Order: sequence, then structure tokens, then C-alpha cells
Amino acid sequence: MKRTLFFISAATALVAMVSFSSCRKDPLKDMTNEESRIYITNHDSTANFSSYSTFSIVDSVAVLTRTSDSAKKALTDYDKKLIASVSAAMQQRGYTLVAKSAKPDLAVNLTRIDNSYTNISWNPGWWGGGGYWDPGYWGYPGGGWYWPSYYTVYQVNEKQVAIDVFDLKNPKNSKFIAVWNALWRGSGVWSIDNIDSMVKASFDQSPYLKK
Amino acid sequence: MKKIRNWILIFAGCFAAQAVSAQVRPPLSVDINYSITQPLGSLKDYSDKTSFRGWSAGLQYMLNDQWSVGVRSGFQDFYQRLPRAVYPDKQGDVSAVQSRTLQVIPIQATVSYAFTKPSAAVIPYATVGVGAANMNYEKYWGEFVEKDNSWQFLVSPEIGINVPFGKASPVMFNANVRYNYSPYKVGDITNFNTIQGNIGLKFSLN
Repeated sequence: MKRTLFFISAATALVAMVSFSSCRKDPLKDMTNEESRIYITNHDSTANFSSYSTFSIVDSVAVLTRTSDSAKKALTDYDKKLIASVSAAMQQRGYTLVAKSAKPDLAVNLTRIDNSYTNISWNPGWWGGGGYWDPGYWGYPGGGWYWPSYYTVYQVNEKQVAIDVFDLKNPKNSKFIAVWNALWRGSGVWSIDNIDSMVKASFDQSPYLKK
Repeated sequence: MKKIRNWILIFAGCFAAQAVSAQVRPPLSVDINYSITQPLGSLKDYSDKTSFRGWSAGLQYMLNDQWSVGVRSGFQDFYQRLPRAVYPDKQGDVSAVQSRTLQVIPIQATVSYAFTKPSAAVIPYATVGVGAANMNYEKYWGEFVEKDNSWQFLVSPEIGINVPFGKASPVMFNANVRYNYSPYKVGDITNFNTIQGNIGLKFSLN
């Protein structure tokens, strides 16, 4: 009798522990793509965003991949829509879109970062190296980009999209200061259907970015 | 040496006390409880959902009719998902759906005092558990996780009742309320405070 009771209780204990310890709620199990995405925006808190009037945007999107050091410039349907959507958002904020030859105040660079660009911490300006937009594109050969220290962010290990806005008006030591940046991470950031909502979210959380 | 002798005497005394007392049920018991836990304080701000995912289990040894000592462990899972919001951060403004989770696995030594004789129909008691808890903190920003895993001091006073199924039954129904406190600090959590309700069974073993 006692022996039976002992076995019953031991079995109960085992069953209880196994069943209850595995009943942790897994946050990733029921997560939609929309819920998986995060939108990070940074800005130069010393920048006076109303002092800029015009902007120009790149005519294609730089694609950084692990497999090649130098990025390719791409112009897929996604890229076309991204350029159009970011341009529209900038115009809505009161900035005038001009050709890059017209000496715009702000440069908008677009970058897609490919899957598993691993083991690179996002140090300030890590992507300023080979493959990123050459300042020569903007008519300033020999110039450089400068990411202020507020750019210390997450590690890169999946598909991402970055929008960088640079001040072309006030270069420091022939470097252009990044005044605003948006980074999209998560599932579906390279999906064309999500562009508008991601652009909207990024601008919505940056109310200071306006003429 | 003297210390050891004193300990031996204490234990001998305890065994003797237990031996002379009319033994209603064997001194060694195991208890298994289902736990529901409500977070309090800063833990509630982090994740305010009552947790229905938990258990507690322990071993107890009766030194005499009133006092017993034991060890116990358990598990509790806290979880809350917040709708998309923008969180200002040192890394910028981050728009994310946050899933905030915390899993707690305590390991404690316990001392209990029963307010009635073991032959009573209802045995109210008080317990204090002191030990450590493994805190597994995972705060998801979208699908990206911010983690912290550490062992923390945990103290848990508890009051409860044991109701034997029959006068000398080795099986008892157990219900108790336990308060858990740990000086755990991570993120917005400044300490760990919960009130936990447990129901279960207690089996005397031989």
C-alpha cells in the first residue's frame, strides 16, 4: 500500500513537472510578420530640420550582402516603390524634391542589407565602407560620410532596410553629417506590400523631421 | 567539534521527539501544487497578466507534530504582449510590438509550523522558504530578444491548510497563499514581488 502510494506520488510529480515546465508561452509562435518588425529611427538632436528646404534621393538602392564586398546598386520594383514612398513622405514634410545637380540641402540614401550579413556590430557608420553610396554620386568626390555617435545600434543578422538622410549644406572636414536615419528590421521588410506602412511608421515617430 | 556535537544532539532530540509523539502519518512527505501568480509592483508594470502557468513541488520532513523542514522548487511563467508603440531608447526611437516574458524557477529551503496536531481534520500552518531563484528575462522587441538570466535571492512566506482525506490518511489536500520577494533588478523591474495561490496534494511517504 505504501509502496503503491509512493509510486503514484512519484509519477504524479514527474508528470506535473514535465507538463508544466513545457507550458511556457512562446512569444514567437503566434507572431505575425507585422508584429515581428521593428522600426528604429535616430536623429542628430543638434540639427535644425527647418533650416533645410530641398532634398534629393538616390536613383537606385544599394544592396549590401555578405557575399560581395562592394554593394550592387539595384532598381527592382521594390526599390522603385521605396524611392517613391520616401520621396512622397519627405515632400509631405515640406521639403522640395530637386535633382541632385541642383545642390540639394539634404541627401537621401537608401540601402538594403542582405540576410546574414553576420557578425558586424552596427558601429557608427559601419556601412560607410565599400559599397555604400560614394559621396561622388552626390557630386562631392573625395568627400565622406559621418555618422555621429548616436548611431550605436543593434547587431545585423538578417534582412534590413536603411534610410539615411545627410546634411549636404554643412559638411565638416569634407564629411556629411547624417541627420536622420531609419532602420527596419524583422520579417517582411523586403516585401513590397509593406513599404508604405513602414515609411509611414518611420516618419510618424519622427515628428521633428519637417520644414 | 562542539558545534557538531550540538547538531547531533539537536537532531537526536528531534528524532526522539518525533518517535515519542503518536505518529499519525510518516514524517516524510512530498507535495505537488498548481500555482496561479499575480505580479505586483514594478513586475506588474513589466507584465501585468496573472500567470496561470506554474507549479510548485517540495519534500518535507516532520521533526515533530509542529515543526518540519524541507526543500522545494517550482516554475512560473509571466507573459504579456503589448500592441505596437514607440519606445524612446538610448539607441533611438524604436517602434515595436513588445512581448515581455519572465520565467522563474525557485529552489528554497523551508521551515514550517503546524498550528494543530497532525490528527486534526484541518491543519493550518505557516511556512517560510528561503533560497534562490533562476530568473529568465526575455523582452522581445518584435522578433528580437533582449535577454538576462541570473540567480537571485528569493524569500517566500506562506500560510496554508492541509486537509487529510480521513483522519490518518497519508494523502492531504493542500491550499496555500505565498508571497514571493526577490531584490531582482533588470530593465524596468526594480524588484520581484508576487502573490501566489497554490492548490495541490501532499503525500506522506515511507
